Amino acid sequence: MKRNLIAMILVGGKGTRLQQITRDIAKPAVSFGAKYRLIDFTLSNISNSNIDVVGIVTQYEPYELMTYIGSGASWDLDFIDGGIRFLTPYATNETVLWQQGTAHAVRQYFNFIVENEADYVLILPGDHIYKMDYQRLFSYHLQRNAEITIAATKVGKEEASRFGIMTISSDNLLVDFQEKPKRPQSLLASMGIYLFNTAALKELLLDGFAEGDVDFGKNVIPKALRQKRRIAVYEYHDYWADVGTVESLWQANMDLLDDPEFLTLNVSKILPIYSKSLNLPPHVVLGRAHISKAIIADGSIINGTIIRSTIGYQTIVEAGAVIENAVILPNVRIGRDARLKNVIVNRNVIIPDGYVQEGEKLMLIDSETLLKRGEANG
Amino acid sequence: MANLFMVVDASSKGAFNKLCRHRIPGALPFGAKYRLIDFTLSNCKNSGITNVAIFPYGNYRSLADHIGSGDRWDLNRRKDGIFILPPKSLTVTFEDTISFQRMYEHIEYFLRSAQEYALVSPANLVWNIDYQVILHDHLFNQADVTEVLSCDNRRIKTFLLSKRLLLDYVMSYDVIPYRNLSDVFDHAASLKRHHYVFPTDCFLVDSPFALFEANMRLLLAETREALFREERPIFSKETMSAAARYGENAKVTNSIIASGAVVEGIVEGSIIGRKAIIREGAVVRNAVVMNQCLIESGASVAYAILDKETRVRQDAVVSGDLNQLYLSEKKQIVAGGRKLHILQITAECHPFVKTGGLADVVSSLSREFARLGFPSAVMMPLYPRIKDKYQLFLELKAEQQLDYGGERYRISLYHYTDQNVDYYFVEAYEFFEREHIYGYDDDGERFAFFAKAAMAFFDIFDDRPDIIHIHDWHLGLLPPLLKNEERYREMKTILTIHNIEYQGIHDAIILHKLGLTAMWPNVQRVNFLEIAIQTATKITTVSETYRDELRYAYYSKNLVEAINRRDRDFYGILNGLEEDIDPGKDLTIVEKYTLVNVFSAKTKNKADLQTRMGLSIGNEYFVMGMVTRIVEQKGFDILLPAIDELLKNPLVQFVILGTGDAEYVRRLQQIKDRHPSQVALNIGYNSTEPSYIYAGADVYLMPSRYEPCGTSQMIALKYGTIPIVRQTGGLNDTIEQFDAVTKRGNGFKFYNYDHRDLLFQTENALNVFQTSLRDWRQLIINAMNSRYYPEDTAKAYIELYRLMLA
Repeated sequence: MKRNLIAMILVGGKGTRLQQITRDIAKPAVSFGAKYRLIDFTLSNISNSNIDVVGIVTQYEPYELMTYIGSGASWDLDFIDGGIRFLTPYATNETVLWQQGTAHAVRQYFNFIVENEADYVLILPGDHIYKMDYQRLFSYHLQRNAEITIAATKVGKEEASRFGIMTISSDNLLVDFQEKPKRPQSLLASMGIYLFNTAALKELLLDGFAEGDVDFGKNVIPKALRQKRRIAVYEYHDYWADVGTVESLWQANMDLLDDPEFLTLNVSKILPIYSKSLNLPPHVVLGRAHISKAIIADGSIINGTIIRSTIGYQTIVEAGAVIENAVILPNVRIGRDARLKNVIVNRNVIIPDGYVQEGEKLMLIDSETLLKRGEANG
Repeated sequence: MANLFMVVDASSKGAFNKLCRHRIPGALPFGAKYRLIDFTLSNCKNSGITNVAIFPYGNYRSLADHIGSGDRWDLNRRKDGIFILPPKSLTVTFEDTISFQRMYEHIEYFLRSAQEYALVSPANLVWNIDYQVILHDHLFNQADVTEVLSCDNRRIKTFLLSKRLLLDYVMSYDVIPYRNLSDVFDHAASLKRHHYVFPTDCFLVDSPFALFEANMRLLLAETREALFREERPIFSKETMSAAARYGENAKVTNSIIASGAVVEGIVEGSIIGRKAIIREGAVVRNAVVMNQCLIESGASVAYAILDKETRVRQDAVVSGDLNQLYLSEKKQIVAGGRKLHILQITAECHPFVKTGGLADVVSSLSREFARLGFPSAVMMPLYPRIKDKYQLFLELKAEQQLDYGGERYRISLYHYTDQNVDYYFVEAYEFFEREHIYGYDDDGERFAFFAKAAMAFFDIFDDRPDIIHIHDWHLGLLPPLLKNEERYREMKTILTIHNIEYQGIHDAIILHKLGLTAMWPNVQRVNFLEIAIQTATKITTVSETYRDELRYAYYSKNLVEAINRRDRDFYGILNGLEEDIDPGKDLTIVEKYTLVNVFSAKTKNKADLQTRMGLSIGNEYFVMGMVTRIVEQKGFDILLPAIDELLKNPLVQFVILGTGDAEYVRRLQQIKDRHPSQVALNIGYNSTEPSYIYAGADVYLMPSRYEPCGTSQMIALKYGTIPIVRQTGGLNDTIEQFDAVTKRGNGFKFYNYDHRDLLFQTENALNVFQTSLRDWRQLIINAMNSRYYPEDTAKAYIELYRLMLA
């Protein structure tokens, strides 16, 4: 069936900078805010924007992510004649199609766009935390009569060199684009969200394809700029986080804790962020609990002290344990009198009774680190 | 797949009042994020049952919404699946247990089900069970019917039997003496009956207290372990809420908090639902707070169940206790504890004038309001008999002239205070200076005038009343009069219907005289009650069941449309029984008694009754008593044939005291002639001292065709005399069927207005009386422990008043 606008989510990145957290799951499946997975934000945005065809381009460790997304029903994206399609690597007669970058991945599944006869394609990362109505981006794209529209947001000076930095004209058209510049010329960063006219995308990725064109930010956008294509920049002003590192994952959780209005997660009825239900009972707070500024998910049992921390689902915090400035990923057990400060605890970790980790520097605790420490002590 | 299909019994309303106005008990939120029925449906999924039929009693929108296609329980199947089978006949009123007749309405479902065994279990049962275990137990014991009991041996309305046997009963529902599976289990002696006792926690949630208790039990680890098991998860509708958020100064202990909740204040021992918000400085203790409630800063909540989206305003105090929980309604706004000024306007009030139960209710309410600390006032006409008796105490408050129908009349207002209640009497010679209270051709004019006069005096109150509470038809024209008057337009009025038969239908000229013709042009007659139903802010009647019954024309007749239009503003609040009615203080009986000496004293009182009435004396006789008006409403059409049949047993005696319809009296006399030594008639006898019957009889008969509330059954209970009643109105709300298995219940009741059903239950009672002294004594204890306090009634009204003002 003919579609005007379809979306493709790129979830193939390896996410190595998240260390053991992405050891056996894809980055978009990483937990955030006690109950969400990163992909929930993108999928909910799509659902709230009434886009009903979504291709999910996977690569590394797709199993858990695919199981999690399932039919997409949790995000109301299970449509008979559309909905979610997983676009996974496959072998052809000649070769195994392994994606070399974002643009390369889209090129491999260009048939998906053709099949849906889409006039416009929205390319989205699957691991960012933000709320956006893509229809507004789409209207802007049409209004500006652009071939490509890139969503952008202001970032801090110190982190600008992590992003694709853009220079724009007075009427918000892209003038210059530099991927991860050493000396950023502005603080306007690309969010990795691209809206293409299908014709332009086809010319860039198929007809005019060159061997090195693997990445949108690095290669395709600069090339389009060189071709003098009309590229509009859509400015987004609310909270946005690209959770690429252990530190940024921790920081995003702290941002959530510190701002009661964070993305209106607890109040909004209009643009809710959906998540898959795990059929867990609500969490229980026992007699010795002391909780101050915390986010706690279902299925947990809390009997310790929790200060400024997020507690993932099915976590048990025993009596006497003290947890501060911590991100506890799901299904963790924290033993009696353990003390944790400035940490991320990876999924499924059992923290022994009396364990102490209270450094000023952020620390990721994983079963491997525990094992090492156990060996050192032993 | 299991060889079982599931009949979910959602036919009982339970003892819910507020919480189930807009949902059936199975749809009640529970445990912060569930609905009660999630447990039954999850058990089905976890037991491999794929064929489920739900039989709701009526208002099942909320249930249907929750269940959706059933896919959350894997019940969205090509073959079988989940079915909601609504009642076909809406004129049938409510029953406690699903009947074979109700199943017959959907006989196709039963015929089509391919599974060989049927499980019948209620929608409001909280447990986690593999139903296959019951089936194995049933087969192992080669039982015909297996009944499941909870670990403390309570009945949980759960039965397993073969489809073939169930079909036998369903197909012949109109000829067998059993109405439902409980009857079968209790009386079908030829069947092999077996009990399976479920070993862990299990809660049949059939009252607000049961809901509260089951929620509180979730705070115990062993209950959670019994209900939430990894191998058999409980599935529920998905949410879209964030994880729960705690503020910096939150203090939470021993509580369960659902996702989406925001807790900034103090929470102890409570269950907090999805997206509920507890603001900083608010305190919630021992409470069940359902989804999306908002407890504002400084508010305090204790021993309460707050229905969804209740908002407790800043500094409001909401507190019940274990005997009476505070219950809010969905979306109720609970404001601070300001004292409400309540003015009841009535035609009669005890002890000044009394022609019926209305006078007692007004009087009891006014005193209870005052006792609870609310400024309470009553306004009524000054009848000559009041003037005669209270002349010395009456203080003249105001006098004025009043226009009515183009004439001027002089009216005066007198005041009298007693037990902190302010009584106001309106004097109007032309209308009330008469011998009787009612019965004049111009009764309509008299009370229309009274309504206008009452309004004319509103300005003398220092604080204008917050609530105007009117009773029956008499003040029916007051609400439109207030609406017609700019400064009174916003006043809140509440109408209580004590008996819908009295409507006050008069000439429409009255509307003209009151200046109300614009509202009701072109009518010939004016129906006072109908106008009150149309125009009062809220409407109540005197029991929950009567409220439900009034939705059917069989009960509300010409007013059925008017009643149904106001359905959402229509409430049932049970009257209480005056506390001075007490066999322990009753000087008119030969031996006073309480629970301590009831068994010996009842024997003496029975002998006294038999002596006075000239009946054979002996404790072995089964004495049936009645104190009643002898009219059709009281069930004489079914009573007389049943009595005639019962008296064939020489050990049965019947005593009746009352006056009424000559035809019934004649037929009663005929029965006495046939059984002279077993029957005592006191026709026209002074009924002001009927205690010796209440104290001396074994059972009290009340087979009423309808009974809005009823007082006699409550008196009988208090005197340890076992009521046998028809399941209607207040009788249904006060009498719980005695159950020989669990020893619970305080009487016997039957459903159909049919003498055979009355006979069946009376013989059932007689059987317990003759064969099991222990059970009979337990019944007496249960009866005497039943309490219907006027204070509870008054509190229920105050809750409603608050709701009106919020």
